[in-house]
Amino acid sequence: MKQHQVTIFAQPRPELLERVLRVVRHRGFQLSAINMAPQSDCQELRITVTVASERPIQLLLSQLTKLIDVLQVDTQALDVASQEAFQIRA
Amino acid sequence: MNGAQYIVNALHQQGVTQVFGYPGGAIMPVYDALYDGGIPHLLCRHEQGAAMAAIGYARSTRQVGVCIATSGPGATNLITGLADAMLDSVPVVAITGQVGRDFIGTDAFQEIDVLGMSLSCTKHSFMVTNPEELGAVIAEAFQIARSGRPGPVLIDVPKDVQMALVEAKPVMHLVDETAPLCDLALVEARRLLAAASKPVLYVGGGVVLADAVDELRSFAATTGMPAVTTLKGIGTLDPASPWFLGMLGMHGTKAANLAVQESDLLLVVGARFDDRVTGKLAAFAPHAKVIHLDVDAAELGKRRAVHVSLQADFKQVLPALAMPLQVTAWQDHCLTMREQFAWRYDHPGDTIYAPLLLKQLSDALPENTVVTSDVGQHQMWVAQHMQFQSPRNHISSSGLGTMGFGLPAAVGAKVARPQDEVVLVSGDGSFMMNVQELGTLRRAQLPVKMVLLDNQRLGMVRQWQELFFDGRFSETILTDNPDFVCMASAFGIPGETISRKEEVAPALARLLASPTAYLLHVSISADDNVWPLVPPGVANEHMLEAKP
Repeated sequence: MKQHQVTIFAQPRPELLERVLRVVRHRGFQLSAINMAPQSDCQELRITVTVASERPIQLLLSQLTKLIDVLQVDTQALDVASQEAFQIRA
Repeated sequence: MNGAQYIVNALHQQGVTQVFGYPGGAIMPVYDALYDGGIPHLLCRHEQGAAMAAIGYARSTRQVGVCIATSGPGATNLITGLADAMLDSVPVVAITGQVGRDFIGTDAFQEIDVLGMSLSCTKHSFMVTNPEELGAVIAEAFQIARSGRPGPVLIDVPKDVQMALVEAKPVMHLVDETAPLCDLALVEARRLLAAASKPVLYVGGGVVLADAVDELRSFAATTGMPAVTTLKGIGTLDPASPWFLGMLGMHGTKAANLAVQESDLLLVVGARFDDRVTGKLAAFAPHAKVIHLDVDAAELGKRRAVHVSLQADFKQVLPALAMPLQVTAWQDHCLTMREQFAWRYDHPGDTIYAPLLLKQLSDALPENTVVTSDVGQHQMWVAQHMQFQSPRNHISSSGLGTMGFGLPAAVGAKVARPQDEVVLVSGDGSFMMNVQELGTLRRAQLPVKMVLLDNQRLGMVRQWQELFFDGRFSETILTDNPDFVCMASAFGIPGETISRKEEVAPALARLLASPTAYLLHVSISADDNVWPLVPPGVANEHMLEAKP
């Protein structure tokens, strides 16, 4: 399974993390690490997740981008062979 | 004014002219505000009925449907309706009462975390914890519900927020942004279209949501592409067009499925390669390149790799792609299939053949009649054998497949379009699932015409048991159904039962002539199945046309 690190920038809402984790699980990605921290200006939250799946990472990114509170999604492949990176601005 | 009055005022300013709902403890301030008038409210007899009436209202018009419920069980009863709206991309705003802010998280009476429950079945959801946010939240909720790919939005409002004093501010109206077209993708799409020798236009409900039926029909006429639709796409194309081959998929027409399987180019407009459409995905349209147009980028490449994808407004992109195509031989082939595999209505014996009855009904309906259906065999027969000039005239729970949808959806459609005839086609299983909405028909004196196809079975499950489970009819035999005509009469609704072919035409005439709601209860054989049927796990060309 390919591993990716996905970084999500979003508006801070009490239920934001639940929304993100629900999408990760429901769309078929396994979570192995997570970190959440406010950006320095406290106007945005940054959530970083490490996920693995047989499914293309693009399927997860496009669903995360649809979340209303999500502003930007970046990703980086953690496999040595492929170091492709995506960035999607919601 | 208080928060509840502000909510009613804000709904009014959003252009809402009808709401559906059911009162209860935590939403009482809103009902108190509604008592002063301003927005007509229709009391449904179950919150699920209110949600589905809002869906019927929204789908038969271009308006946002609004439903209201109390906390706890009121809110949980809305959930199936919200899920239905989610799967069919219906703009609905649901407002639920919640226990007061101090009680949240204490397992208070009728407290449930509906925001948490909403995460998987809404496009977005809010809990209003500050009365001053009410205006912004309501404006955003309506904008989210109707913009892009529409969907349901939930607003959970604690009771003390409804009762708090709120400064009356002008309500905001948010405006949608439209993304510009990608020129490179357009050029490539036009090149693929021009190079195709067997192109097929595969149309879904997204065209309806984009309000692009005129643009689609114009595109279809210019290109002359043979065309198929999904269940939600029914009515987008003129059924009389020679290049229209009908619905594709599990119960699609033979011509539609064979054309797609033979095609060398699929132009997919507002559809999503649903499993009921594709059958075995790896064998779906195996020779076709794919151009996929959708407003939702997450659908592009989700189930089928594409050669060109365009996240676009169909009103812009369809005219930009339209050009005459030189595909006469392919058109002739598709036309031959359409004629060769046209529906046949010869049926031995005296018992009523539901597909023929529905064709007779379709032929007898006044222009612009709305037909809602429930879920099961009758739903597929409606899709196959009735003709629709507008997609807003065919309302069926497509994505979620919610039994019990038809009656409350008909309530919503009739409230929205009182000048048009509204007909419900239901089955005996589905009808019982929201039968309490007969009370709503009576309350609002809605002259909805109901055709109940009764085979005393959960027919679609029975069909699968017959074909794929060795005829083991586990819990699908409903010979203990109630007397439906008697039940309707308890709600003051006249009706009759028919069981022989010769009775159909005069009974349909009485149904349509009735000035009030009317129940035509039709007794049909338990053995009639829906054909064709693509069995699970095989390609669409391997459809069954009779029991093997």
